[in-house]
Amino acid sequence: MDIKFLVVDDSVTMRRIVINSLRSLGYSDFVEACDGKDALDKLGTDDGINFVITDWNMPVLSGLELVKSIRGDEKHSKLAILMVTTRGVKEDIIEALQAKVNNYVVKPFTPQILKEKIEQILTAV
Amino acid sequence: MKKVSNMSELFERLNDLKVVFFYGQKFIPIIQSIIDFMSETVPLLEDINSSISDSTVKIPKAKDQINNVTNATELATTEILDTVDSISAEIGKVENDLKTIQAKEEERNIIWNKIKENLSKDSNSIDLINKYENLDSVTFIIPKLLEVFDKTKNDVNNIALSLQVQDITSQQLASVNHLIESVRQRLSSLVMHLDETEIKDIESLQSIIPDTSAFNPEAIYTKSKEKQETADILVNNRLNKASQDEIDKLFS
Repeated sequence: MDIKFLVVDDSVTMRRIVINSLRSLGYSDFVEACDGKDALDKLGTDDGINFVITDWNMPVLSGLELVKSIRGDEKHSKLAILMVTTRGVKEDIIEALQAKVNNYVVKPFTPQILKEKIEQILTAV
Repeated sequence: MKKVSNMSELFERLNDLKVVFFYGQKFIPIIQSIIDFMSETVPLLEDINSSISDSTVKIPKAKDQINNVTNATELATTEILDTVDSISAEIGKVENDLKTIQAKEEERNIIWNKIKENLSKDSNSIDLINKYENLDSVTFIIPKLLEVFDKTKNDVNNIALSLQVQDITSQQLASVNHLIESVRQRLSSLVMHLDETEIKDIESLQSIIPDTSAFNPEAIYTKSKEKQETADILVNNRLNKASQDEIDKLFS
């Protein structure tokens, strides 16, 4: 299965680090977005995207709102979503899971953690 | 008789007045000290007011400086990432070249073994072959070099991963900025209460109040796996369809 990632983060640095990590894991197809709204725009114009990696804290539209929008949209509701965020308290994680993220990574992360979570999602899907 | 009565009433009133003057004299120093206190306090209040006004006006500058720090670290991080990418690319090239040399060496060995086989009956050639084989070859270094490059590549990747600290510290700085803005707003309202003059530019400053949803005030750079483990437990329990009560029990 060819995977096209949509990497959503307001930090340019984090987008680069996530993409570099994905590259080191052998993936090569990426689209970037700087916030939730930008991500929804990209999803609206690019049908090839099948995996979303999103930050939580972003201006304009947060990662959590993005997840809710995706899950509420029939066309994209089945997309794989991995939340990568600094928010690591139990209540936040539960909130993200209730919004139906597929998996959750707490920053700072390692490529190994990223690999493990992506594989878990792909196996479940 | 009425006159006498009026006079005694007058004396009573005069007596009352005397009492008033008597106590008035006692109160005069107190009133004086109140006046003194007020005359000392009013300039002090004006000073406080102007200090608050000054501080309130200076706060946007502090916020600008914090934003400058965030922008500078982001720029520096981007430059480091550029350099890290460039080093990784160069290491990758050298690694590929070494692997090509290694593969060619293996081909050369196969041909060499065939030559040895063909010349095995000629004792002079055997001597030469033995001498040649005893000479040091550079090829034995290649696996060691590849090992070094692999380790260097890992180190370079780790540098890049450590740069996640930039995102985390920028969230912490955004949180500080938000606190500063809250203090500025409180000070501004205080100034408006003390003195009805409005802090200039207050309206325009509203637009630069950071959006609290854009940062996590609790963001922290740590190597501890505790938070990831919490997330893993919750995700795994969700996957196993555990109830919220069961999840809560895990953390109680």
